[in-house]
Amino acid sequence: MTALPIKYIIKRIVIFIAVFFGALTLNFMLPRLMPGNPAEIVYEDLLRDSGGDINISFLHQLEAEYGISNNKPIWIQFFSYLNDLFHGNLGISIAFFPVPVSTILYEALPWTLFLVISSITISFFIGNRLGRYAGLNRNHAGDLIIDLFSMFMAAFPAFVLAFLMLDIFSVYGKLFPVGGAFAVGVNMGLNVPFIVSTLYHAVLPVATITLTSLGGWVLGMRNNIIPNVNSDYIGFSQNLGLKDYQVKRIAYRNALLPNLTGFSMSIGLSVSGVIIEESIFSYPGVGMYMITAIDDLDYPLLQGIFLMVIIAVLVGNLIVDILLGILDPRIKQEGD
Amino acid sequence: MTPESNRRAIKLNVNDDALKETRVDGISAIFSSLKKMFAPVHILTENGKSKFGLILLLAMVAFAVVGIFYTPYAPNAYLFKKSMPPSYNHLLGTTGYGQDVFSQLLAGAAPTLMIGFSVGILGTLISVFVGVVSGFASKKVNEIINGIVNVFLVIPGVLLIMLFGAYFLGLKQNMGYLPTVIILISTGWAFGARTFRSVTLSVSKRDYILSSILIGERKLSIIFRQIIKSIMPVIVSNFFFTAMYGTMGLTFVEYLGVGNLQQVNWGTMLYWAINNEAYLVGEWWWILPPAILISVLMFAFILLNFGLDEIANPALKVFKKKKKVIERA
Repeated sequence: MTALPIKYIIKRIVIFIAVFFGALTLNFMLPRLMPGNPAEIVYEDLLRDSGGDINISFLHQLEAEYGISNNKPIWIQFFSYLNDLFHGNLGISIAFFPVPVSTILYEALPWTLFLVISSITISFFIGNRLGRYAGLNRNHAGDLIIDLFSMFMAAFPAFVLAFLMLDIFSVYGKLFPVGGAFAVGVNMGLNVPFIVSTLYHAVLPVATITLTSLGGWVLGMRNNIIPNVNSDYIGFSQNLGLKDYQVKRIAYRNALLPNLTGFSMSIGLSVSGVIIEESIFSYPGVGMYMITAIDDLDYPLLQGIFLMVIIAVLVGNLIVDILLGILDPRIKQEGD
Repeated sequence: MTPESNRRAIKLNVNDDALKETRVDGISAIFSSLKKMFAPVHILTENGKSKFGLILLLAMVAFAVVGIFYTPYAPNAYLFKKSMPPSYNHLLGTTGYGQDVFSQLLAGAAPTLMIGFSVGILGTLISVFVGVVSGFASKKVNEIINGIVNVFLVIPGVLLIMLFGAYFLGLKQNMGYLPTVIILISTGWAFGARTFRSVTLSVSKRDYILSSILIGERKLSIIFRQIIKSIMPVIVSNFFFTAMYGTMGLTFVEYLGVGNLQQVNWGTMLYWAINNEAYLVGEWWWILPPAILISVLMFAFILLNFGLDEIANPALKVFKKKKKVIERA
């Protein structure tokens, strides 16, 4: 393997920081762009629920949490927002008052990452293999079946599939648990029952996300490998006397590179998908909190989740880009 | 045969063709002009997959048009016994609220399709504009545009919809169709812009564009007369992709309950079915029809997008020709 493409990596990191600040600014601007004052509505609701038992200072606190107190100039607000962020202060959750948003995210994030990483990896692997088969056996029955199946899976609404899976396998079939990340009464930690229970509970969510994200890989790989199979270097390697499986492997590897770019693009999409699935499978990840946050108008939590997802997507993109730079010498040249 | 006579034969042939052209009567003139008008549609029938997709899509459109003018019962009225299974009077049974599912499906088709199409058209227009401009712009402008596109690429559209939807809920309002469409467009254009930029860059380097520049044709005219024309299959393919994104986004918005739930479309139908746990009590006729129709619509978009890619991407086409040559040899 060649040396690290330093210049290319530095360029990617600079772009990463620029986009990161763009996203921060967007996250800062969103609540300030919205018309009206949601804090007042939440305050009135709380006032009604508690029978007038709430101090008016709570309203000001809410406004500060929502980021809509307009008594300071906008740039000072922006700097205090940035300052809070770099100290890990994302505000106090309203639905889980008085737990800080950062604590909730800290607890929920590992579960979401576990789901995202395992399902993306599985669907990337299976999808590319299926796509390779379809591309190499083009215009055969197998190709058509794989193509149509993956198109239909990509077309089916993900949350309906999740409900159907839950219905068939958990409610009627009683094969898998209805919700949760591990069984009640199992101690968290590195012990065998916990790991087994976690994997068992993850089967349905991971299978659903894998099924819905499979199509993109299959079709991408199929369309990438076809021109590769027809290119001159494949004919050359055949003439050199390489075996059939070796030639196919070369074509497959070359076709994998554009799909890796797609991998970085799909991280955002799959995170959104995972969030929906988590709420359906009552999986204690970010998604379940997100639904609660929408129901309870918990804006600090919502914005914390939004920011965190953007950061996760950006970091994922950065890692894939750097990997691509190492794997593909053409990209390295482009960066220089 | 001497070269002289050969040339004469060609000349005669040309004259014959010209004569045939002049003998076109009125009806075929109308036909040929119609053919020109629907040239992009004609492309779609070249490929088996896109042909199938087009048929599915046209069937959906027909279904929606019928739904605008006629439904067996009022789609949103609670007229009947609750949760009746399908029967002759109610082709797809009734909902848990006593509404007729088939009428709702008919009435909900038009808004669902309209949102998909409007997101597709407007999103594609923005991405074509941004992509073609950055394909022609100077390096500095290009980098700025690229940066903006990159920011929009990483924003997860579904999350942004949730965030906005929650704000609308906070104002005791429901997100109507207009905000939904605007958010879907603003999160859905970036991917296409990236594609169009690279396509424009590769087209604008070709010799015939250079010769147009040398002749002195204006940039605008080159863009509209030549570049847009030559990347048309990519544009149409991107339209279907963005329309798919729009439809998917709508179902997400409605599923989360942040849209206007009184409006009848396939997304709200799913919302009510899921929130009444139709899947648990076995009322499949309530949840499956909208889910299947949404997936058939998306399936049509994917087929069209995929088929057009096969048409537009020369690398995928070359295979066939090569294979033919091999078979002949």
